Amino acid sequence: MNEDYEEFEAIIGLEIHCALNTKTKLFGREPNYFGAEPNSNIGYVDTGQPGILPVLNKEAVKKAITFGLAVNGTINEISYFDRKSYFYPDCPFNYQITQFYHPIITGGSITCDVDGVLKTFTIEHTHLENDAGKLVHFPDFTGVDFNRSGAPLIEIVSDPCMRSPKEASVYASTIRSILEYTECSYCNMQEGHFRMDANISVRLKGEKHLRPKAEIKNMNSFANMELAIETEIQSQIAFYRKNPTGTIKTGTYRFDLEKQKTILMRAKESAEDYRYFPEPDLPPLVLEKSFIDGIRENLKELPLKKAHRFTHELGLTPYFTNLLIADKALCDFFEKGVTHCTHPKAYCNWVVVEFTARANEKNIHVKDLEISPVSIAHLVNMIEKGRITGKMAKEIADLMVENPKMSPEEIADSDSKFKLMGDHNALEAIIDSILKENLESIRDFKNGKEKAFQFLVGEVMKKTRGSASPPLVKELLTKKIHSSNG
Amino acid sequence: MFSLSAIELSLKFKKKEYSATEIITAFLQRAKNEPYGALLSVLEDRALKKAAELDAKQKSGKTLGLLAGVPVIVKDNILIQGEKTTCGSKFLENYRAPYSATVVTELEKHDAIIIAKANMDEFAMGSSTATSAYHRTDNPWNQDYTPGGSSGGSAAAVAGLLAPLSLGSDTGGSVRQPAAFCGIYGFKPTYGRISRHGLVAFASSLDQIGPFSRSIDDLALISNVLATPCNHDSTSIQTPAEDYLNALDGDICHLKIGVPREFLEGIDPEIRSAFEKFLTTLRECGAQTVDITLPHNNYSVPVYYILAPAEASTNLARFDGIRYTSRSKKAKTLSEVYTFSRTEGFGKEVTQRILLGTYVLSAGFQDAYYKKAQKVRYKICKDYEDAFEKCDVIAFPTTPVPPFKHGSITDPLTMYKQDIFTISANMAGLPSLSIPVGLTKEALPIGIQVQAPQMQDGLVMNVAKAFELKTSFFRLRPPSYQGNDHE
Repeated sequence: MNEDYEEFEAIIGLEIHCALNTKTKLFGREPNYFGAEPNSNIGYVDTGQPGILPVLNKEAVKKAITFGLAVNGTINEISYFDRKSYFYPDCPFNYQITQFYHPIITGGSITCDVDGVLKTFTIEHTHLENDAGKLVHFPDFTGVDFNRSGAPLIEIVSDPCMRSPKEASVYASTIRSILEYTECSYCNMQEGHFRMDANISVRLKGEKHLRPKAEIKNMNSFANMELAIETEIQSQIAFYRKNPTGTIKTGTYRFDLEKQKTILMRAKESAEDYRYFPEPDLPPLVLEKSFIDGIRENLKELPLKKAHRFTHELGLTPYFTNLLIADKALCDFFEKGVTHCTHPKAYCNWVVVEFTARANEKNIHVKDLEISPVSIAHLVNMIEKGRITGKMAKEIADLMVENPKMSPEEIADSDSKFKLMGDHNALEAIIDSILKENLESIRDFKNGKEKAFQFLVGEVMKKTRGSASPPLVKELLTKKIHSSNG
Repeated sequence: MFSLSAIELSLKFKKKEYSATEIITAFLQRAKNEPYGALLSVLEDRALKKAAELDAKQKSGKTLGLLAGVPVIVKDNILIQGEKTTCGSKFLENYRAPYSATVVTELEKHDAIIIAKANMDEFAMGSSTATSAYHRTDNPWNQDYTPGGSSGGSAAAVAGLLAPLSLGSDTGGSVRQPAAFCGIYGFKPTYGRISRHGLVAFASSLDQIGPFSRSIDDLALISNVLATPCNHDSTSIQTPAEDYLNALDGDICHLKIGVPREFLEGIDPEIRSAFEKFLTTLRECGAQTVDITLPHNNYSVPVYYILAPAEASTNLARFDGIRYTSRSKKAKTLSEVYTFSRTEGFGKEVTQRILLGTYVLSAGFQDAYYKKAQKVRYKICKDYEDAFEKCDVIAFPTTPVPPFKHGSITDPLTMYKQDIFTISANMAGLPSLSIPVGLTKEALPIGIQVQAPQMQDGLVMNVAKAFELKTSFFRLRPPSYQGNDHE
């Protein structure tokens, strides 16, 4: 993707709508779950009944504060709600309750790795608001599904601080992972938990003022957003090259993926007047400092910090670390077992490679194998302690998938094939015979060839048909080689 | 039976002189034949069922509620589950409430029986009940006159002995002005003291449900029932209310009553002299009067007609022909559904106020109108704060003029000025009670209101109690019902 715009530079700001995963809606008491049958999770608030009043959901407030703390924003001890008026059938009151004048969170910033360079992006503010319902179109009529109506959202408004589509998508995906790891949102993009609007303008490098912007609404994939932004930047640059003194038509666009074009939805001249004014049904939202501090104390580890811990304390490779962080369910599973394991790196490998492969065969996620991560940790410990061999462990892993409730110890005890050669004398006899057959390898080893030793270990394992404990084999081999006068 | 107070009626029920079914049957009969046009619907089946349940409850020996057996009428902008709630509008002609307002739940928890819903100005916008899309309501004192509004039906119902108690709603005087016109008590409590959950909103920051009664004890009793914290209303006061009835002793010795003398300029002379007599009576009770001033009250009408329509324009946006309101049959497109349904559904006064409210909130006009009006609202509140440094309560007439004839005011501005003395209590969220103090030469009622700082609801009731102990105006009944009370 072209990020060098020659004499031009692109200015991008994002508005992200994120659905908070609270149990109930923002101002009503109905379940906050909209995958259900149309209009099955609706109440008097969600359908805009006369006489009904909004009552703010404290859990949603907590989650908004959690996000605010995670991005180092200022949590405003007093904030207000406002009415935003517009008529649309999915908006039951024909106004949305939002925070236009005094949002709950001001400021904040995140640091992201953009192609190996650390960049900081700043957030203007974050506010609470309720979601609308959804129109469902049928051949001869249109219906409204109010299940999503009243769902709690936070809108995270960045400063116009991004300069390329890539920066925008890295910023957005970092915000998403923060929301996920702080357990504010499920962030399921297909379900619309995380929707992005981009404001885009271009200007000549060195210019101080911002030129008019285009807004692309409602994108729910990072790749499509990059594409949409790039397309819009190119189209604006092309316009200004042709009309150096002209101004682009400001307005609201949507991105048509098939046509690879941004399509104008509403020009600025016809922009709606939302007639914002303070919501009289809700008193000011006053937050006690102790309430905020309580949330701060219970703040979950942020993804960037977690990644740092994985590589620096657990010794995981950046590759494995990224794999884990990118999949919160996998990461949670990994973390549940890692404290029970003496070798985090090996355990990581078993979770991310071995068991994931087995889960993939069944087209399910590792967590859905129903195997406890602690069992996997124990399996790894058994290998490390020399109780079983790696080869045996793979077979035991297969059996664990079949019998998820059995521990690896139980499986190992249930079959003699998982017994290591217990007889030292027999093993020593085998080692002696291998050493006799491979005098050259001993010489190579003594001359510093590490590989020769591994070869000898392999030979012993082969002869014992894998039933010997590798650590024991190594120990005996070393002793015998050193005592041999070769 | 019909002229009994709620307290007397409930006592007779508790002593088993009347069964609930007997009381309710009699009142329903009267309601069905009432001559004032005070009611929009009579809840016969529901009321009889509740009466039978109450009789059974009494038989089983369970403790009976504070309002056991008392028939109550509620304004038709208060929701009762399963019953029609029209708000006096054609738009909600067929709307049945899916839930009950907190006030309804509280009344029924205390064994009151709601027998009917009262007529009102459409969506509570008006001062004469004439904007109702259904029919007009007459003043029981003289049927050529209006009962006031917007809660004119609720006021006429209590004055006309259709029930001892009723509920109205007061956004700019809609309980107090009809109470004054109908010669009964009408109370607007401290903002937030009575839950608004289930009251169809007009202007949320000003709306308050309030009761009507013919005696101050009844008013205190029903206030005890209604003034409870409610977790469905974020503006509900969360501390429990005092026991108003128990505190009612009529002792106002040394109480300082503030009088804004400037209000008395140019008002009807009969009202002015009734007010002076009222003050004399209170002084006889040991109270002192002091002159105070509320300099920004002059602006209360213009400020009200910016703020209330602004809030109303959004509160009424939900009536759109999409879900429960009637949809225009002519509409073919979405925009036509909105435009035609709302044009057909709302009456002239409501349309006018929605347009006004939309205008004052619009980009480019909001600073000049809505925001400026908010600033003046704070000044009005500040006036009260200053005044209450010098006095405990404030008294002045409820209305500048006595009741007027049907159709005699056609100019909206003249009609809006009806509220000149009532609006400021809504602006400041104060408790304000209109007290019946006598009649004009033409035998039309006069009301005086008493206001106090927020949360001092009991204090204003006690001033009324003191006055009631000294006078007998509250015993006056409309001529149409004298000797007409078949017990």
